[in-house]
Amino acid sequence: MGKYVYFALALAMLLVAPMFIKSRVIIDLLILCNIYAIFLSSWDLVGGYTGQISFGHSLFIGGGAYTAGLLNYYFQVPPYVTIPLGGIVAAALALLIGVFALRVKGAYLALVTFAAAAVPVTLTAIFWEYSGGDDGLSGISPLSVDVVTRYYLSAALLVLCGGILIFITRSSYGLVLLSIRDNETASMAVGIDVRKYKVITFVISGFLAGIAGAFYCHNQLHVGPAELKPAFSVLVVLMAVAGGMGTIIGPMLSGYFLIFLNDWLRFSENYKMMIYTGVIVIILLVCPRGLYPAIASGIKRVVHK
Amino acid sequence: MATGVLEIRGLTKYFGGLRAIDDVNVSISKGELVGVIGPNGAGKTTFFNLITGFVVPDGGEVLVNGVDVAGWSPHRVVQEGVSRTFQITRMFSSLKVIENVIVALLARKGMGILSSSRAHVEEASAILERVGLHDKIGLLAGSLGQGDQRKLELARATATKPNVLLIDEPFSGLSLKEVEVLIPLIQKLNKEGLNIVIIEHKLRELMRLAKRVLVLNFGRLIADGTPEEITNDEEVVEAYLGKERGNFGAP
Repeated sequence: MGKYVYFALALAMLLVAPMFIKSRVIIDLLILCNIYAIFLSSWDLVGGYTGQISFGHSLFIGGGAYTAGLLNYYFQVPPYVTIPLGGIVAAALALLIGVFALRVKGAYLALVTFAAAAVPVTLTAIFWEYSGGDDGLSGISPLSVDVVTRYYLSAALLVLCGGILIFITRSSYGLVLLSIRDNETASMAVGIDVRKYKVITFVISGFLAGIAGAFYCHNQLHVGPAELKPAFSVLVVLMAVAGGMGTIIGPMLSGYFLIFLNDWLRFSENYKMMIYTGVIVIILLVCPRGLYPAIASGIKRVVHK
Repeated sequence: MATGVLEIRGLTKYFGGLRAIDDVNVSISKGELVGVIGPNGAGKTTFFNLITGFVVPDGGEVLVNGVDVAGWSPHRVVQEGVSRTFQITRMFSSLKVIENVIVALLARKGMGILSSSRAHVEEASAILERVGLHDKIGLLAGSLGQGDQRKLELARATATKPNVLLIDEPFSGLSLKEVEVLIPLIQKLNKEGLNIVIIEHKLRELMRLAKRVLVLNFGRLIADGTPEEITNDEEVVEAYLGKERGNFGAP
């Protein structure tokens, strides 16, 4: 019961935000928050629920972004076609990599996914004439020229993707994923096809990340190697873990919090990245399970008083 | 022609140059409760791992109702009707007791992604009631004591509706009191028609359960008979207890 109240509240806030916020800059930031919320929570499906720590999320985000960018730049394919296609290409990449990488676990999986994610960024350098190299491609068509419309599109995408993630994780399927995270051997022993579940989950995660990546490309009107670089994967993992692994909601909130933090830190120029990662480290030291579990248990304590 | 519910022929596994399991032939008949003993490192757990697909054998057959499952992946062996527990309990620690069993039910029955796990609550509760965990279904599995974890492993394994249940050292780490709870439980499962194979170090307890005992030593099956036969077998006594004849506490 209580849970639904919070969901309704979050939905309402998402809905009314642009009515109260008149600053274009802030609304633009909120759009970014919505996109990052999908980046991070889609990672959490694999990282937090099946316990497979992947450093390959940049591949799916960047894969989706480049799919959209290239199709739109060279063939003028409209966003409502490139966005789902971005998801499909990312899902195909996830399938390809997942089938091989998910044979290994733990640090090995982290390394294999990281190495795999380093490949396409090299391709953008090799085929710089088409990809624009380090500069990427500019002049991608916008989703809408109106910032409020763009905001509502991003919010709708978040509700859709977030809804899918929340639904999956709270279903029987999510229970099976958690059993794999807790004890893979025991899952096999009760008859779960662990490999199959891992790969399917990886593909779903990649699909959602790819969609968000393609959306991001049309929002920035640009696609470049920044989102495709393995370093971006590291950032995704850091941000998601700071939010609270295995919660979906945590990484979403973390997206909001850290995007705003990142923006506030603009004044600090050269020290920005240092302070930013410093804050994440402090979060993880103070509440190792992440922000959301810490806040949630705090609220529970106050409410039950 | 296979007659047993579980028929093992020429099962062999090498680890490097070591013969972990060496040409083992065993037939488990309907209704049996068979014990497996042997000194440390004799290959008992490897024997279970080979049957259940956690380790792929180098040779031999594992016939389950006539189907050779040797080398199959674990989840397929389970679906064929062979389930197991572990020497060191393996819980889904962050899940509730009842959810531990529900996962096993989901694996057996398949699931639509839309399905809620609530549909299985009733059946899972009934399974937990049989092992005496019905008052703990809402607790986290990780918070259970060792005795209750053993019961939960049994509950989870039976939820897969096995024909043959392999139990690996069910009494290790348990108090005498907990052992006295577990013995009748295992006997009950056997009486209800479950064919059971148990590895156990506590011979006195094992002899109370099993009417037939297999003895492994250095990967070879050196004896297969009633507890009386086993205790009088010279090779077994030598391998297991040293040169002096020991007291097995056989009935």
